[in-house]
Amino acid sequence: MAGAGGFVEADNAEAIIARIETKSSKIESLLKQYKPVEALKTALEGSPPKTLDERCKSANWIVVHRALMAIKDIEGMLNALDVEYYDILMKYLYRGLSTGDRPTCDQCLKIHEKLTDRAGLGCILRCLTDTINTV
Amino acid sequence: MFQANPLRLYLACIRNTLEAAMCLQNFPCQEVERHNKPEVELKTSPELLLNPVLICRNEAEKCLIETSINSLRISLKVKQADELENILTKKFLRFLSMRAEAFQVLRRKPVQDIEKEISELKISVNTRGRLVATEFLKQFM
Repeated sequence: MAGAGGFVEADNAEAIIARIETKSSKIESLLKQYKPVEALKTALEGSPPKTLDERCKSANWIVVHRALMAIKDIEGMLNALDVEYYDILMKYLYRGLSTGDRPTCDQCLKIHEKLTDRAGLGCILRCLTDTINTV
Repeated sequence: MFQANPLRLYLACIRNTLEAAMCLQNFPCQEVERHNKPEVELKTSPELLLNPVLICRNEAEKCLIETSINSLRISLKVKQADELENILTKKFLRFLSMRAEAFQVLRRKPVQDIEKEISELKISVNTRGRLVATEFLKQFM
């Protein structure tokens, strides 16, 4: 049972990474067309939920990071983003804040403040308590 | 003035996260009868621990917040560019440690890479205790 589960995991990991690659090229083209909000939505959409594989998470984080850094108008971005993506965005913000890289942290702190105003403390608490779907 | 803005954002982020994380309750130990242990220190049961959160302002300043069901640990790394800042940091820390009785601080030794640590533990069902703690920290933010 555990063996079969492990095999499916490995198989899925390759498939997920391939999907992330395609997502990445789509996001690059969206960014070139000056549509950073669309790019961020695409990046957040296919977030691998229950994967334990670090590579998938890192690959997806790189893609999300690229889209996040391209955002200039934060209010507009939050207006356009659906409510269901707030939690996932918050998780990625915390991942960004843990990197310690100055420009990333600056951007993440700005978005964090605005997102907390909109989504409230519940959003933060959901990130803290969700130990299963981590990014 | 221009410098203050990123600092304000950093502190606002820490304050919001702390407010969310200070959702603590009294929780007696599950393993041993009539014992009440701070779970964030002992880590006896994984289901009682929440994701730790690291908030960095830059490479030199960060804040690690680890929460569990009945206790919370904050670790702060503060930029110390010169001797004067070093002295100020030490004084600040001594002050907080001495005031620790107000919010039942149990552990005051540093953890690994994090230079200074303040542990706030077991702010149990005492709502007043929690309010005092939040107000106290706000003064410095």
